[in-house]
Amino acid sequence: MGVIFLLVIVGSASWYLSKANKTQNQVVADNPNVSLNNSNLRYANIAYSEKITLSKGKGVTKQAASCIECHAQKTPAIVQDWSKSSMAHAGVSCIDCHGVSKDNPMANQNCPGVKGTNIYVSKMVSPKTCAKCHPNEVKEFEESGHARAAFHLALKPDQGLIAHEDMGAPEYKDAVVLTGCAQCHGSIIKMGPNHEPTQGTWPSHGIGNVYPDGGVGNCASCHFNHQFSIAQARKPSSCATCHLGPDHPDIEVYNNSVHGALFAAHGDKWHWGSPPGAWIPGVDYDAPTCATCHMSGVNGLQPTHNVDMRLKWNLWAPISKERTGGYETAAFEYMKTGKLTAGNPLAGNPKGPQEARKEMLQVCASCHTQSFANNYLAMADKQIELYNKYAHAASEMINTLEKKHLMMKDPWADPAFRTYYYMWHHEGRRMRQGAVMEGPDYSHWHGVFQLQQSLRILQAIYNQRMKDGKIDPNQIGGVGMGE
Amino acid sequence: MQEKPWLKKVVIMSIVGVLVGVIFSYATYIGVEKTAGENFCASCHSMQPMAQSYGLDVHGGNNQFGFKAQCTDCHLPHNNVANYLYTKAKTGINDVFFEFFTNTSKINWEQKLKEPNKFVYDSGCLKCHSNLQQESLQNQRAFLAHRAYFAKTTNESCVDCHSNVGHKDLKEFIKS
Repeated sequence: MGVIFLLVIVGSASWYLSKANKTQNQVVADNPNVSLNNSNLRYANIAYSEKITLSKGKGVTKQAASCIECHAQKTPAIVQDWSKSSMAHAGVSCIDCHGVSKDNPMANQNCPGVKGTNIYVSKMVSPKTCAKCHPNEVKEFEESGHARAAFHLALKPDQGLIAHEDMGAPEYKDAVVLTGCAQCHGSIIKMGPNHEPTQGTWPSHGIGNVYPDGGVGNCASCHFNHQFSIAQARKPSSCATCHLGPDHPDIEVYNNSVHGALFAAHGDKWHWGSPPGAWIPGVDYDAPTCATCHMSGVNGLQPTHNVDMRLKWNLWAPISKERTGGYETAAFEYMKTGKLTAGNPLAGNPKGPQEARKEMLQVCASCHTQSFANNYLAMADKQIELYNKYAHAASEMINTLEKKHLMMKDPWADPAFRTYYYMWHHEGRRMRQGAVMEGPDYSHWHGVFQLQQSLRILQAIYNQRMKDGKIDPNQIGGVGMGE
Repeated sequence: MQEKPWLKKVVIMSIVGVLVGVIFSYATYIGVEKTAGENFCASCHSMQPMAQSYGLDVHGGNNQFGFKAQCTDCHLPHNNVANYLYTKAKTGINDVFFEFFTNTSKINWEQKLKEPNKFVYDSGCLKCHSNLQQESLQNQRAFLAHRAYFAKTTNESCVDCHSNVGHKDLKEFIKS
């Protein structure tokens, strides 16, 4: 009987509690100030970015106000920039992002304003901090290939390329990496004396920065400090801080395309600050930028910070494969276990490459007929398959030479290796990325034309080595073929 | 009126049953209450760093009102009583077993800190911070920062963003 009595009490109490929970949710749903409509709600905070009226101190704590006052003297530009940001509008101030707990590995009191107080700060702001208010964006980013950038660099410094570039003097290695590679790839940031990041690992603008607190990624690679502007991130120049040059001339491809020409002609009249998911082609702008196709909420698609979501192919590897790998894994693996892993080069849309292509075509359909976009991308696919034919032919020759010990010990001295490297890393990427992004000069002249020239050179080297059974040190190849 | 001996029996049994039930429930209540706080939880040696860092934290009474959240306010689910009691029993048995039968100094607490949502329940946070859900744009900091959470566009739990909440500088205490 007692047991039954107890059960009745427990049962009714849990019923009451679950009912109370429901009522609470209902209140929220009915409150006009707290609309729970996901698509509107998700990004609405950034919708204010164009109209910033906040004066210093509004809605910020006393401590935050003192940071602002002092830094307005010491580092006026960043405070000015911040005051124009949507962060400032929402009352998010210096200390909200730079303040960390004492047990954070990046924590110090080197700023005289907080010395001796119970406030600890960090120069660096990891995505873990950004995620407090922007969890979707950070998670989507971590699921994309961008999150792998620093691991890729740390694990495989390009066949010992850096070892050759530092002229055998390791004290210059950090300079090579930090002023070069890491500014795009990101750096595994280490802490040094006085709880400051070390000179060789910081500062890095790179998108894959790995912070001592375990955060992976660098939001400020695209949303530069301290305005964190959506308008700036949407402009092709933001992506072009990395996506340029001989190995993946994406900004050049864009400028070569009709899309880029339209941007150059009318871009200054476009509405760059519209809220995410509500930046409408034909209304706010009349040709896509990088962000439009790879991220924006266009034509019914959700905006995403996973730039691989709409990609059918991997177009940077020696052989192009469809992106069947699902989400990127390196960042999650690192955050869970602390291990550096190579990640998932075939990361893409978790529903597969066909779904990725479908989404991209949905972007195209804002402006183009179905047959226009289908026909174009079908030819781009063929151009990628054609590249693979070149790549297979080249790698077969390299493999055979390796088996017969006819490759030089130092690959960067070897014309066969160099030619092969230019083929996939420079010419092949230009050919493939030029093809899908409608840059005819890159698909052809900088791409397949040079590729076929290089294949002939490699073939000549191959024939001679196979005939002679030894390496002729005076053979020429590779050098000068890259752009 | 004819006597019904079974009725008398039922009445007496019922009264006894109710009494036993009340006593049993009250005893359970007392037991649950007495084993909810720092005095009980911190009586185990391995809980010392947690207790120390808790004492320095806003949630551990280091606030202008001296108000304290009990250990179980955060570390047990508060969505319904049955789940609460079940989880209490389960984690209680688990903790006692590991305290007495294993070498707790070998536990990698820093590793455990990487999965805080295994030990902290959102329903506990929301029991006290129930206002958060009703915040509007009038209070942008509370509203904007938690909008994705309440709109369910993220799977992050409270402690995924608010790491070490309840235990100020916990890592410092675990190290020493």
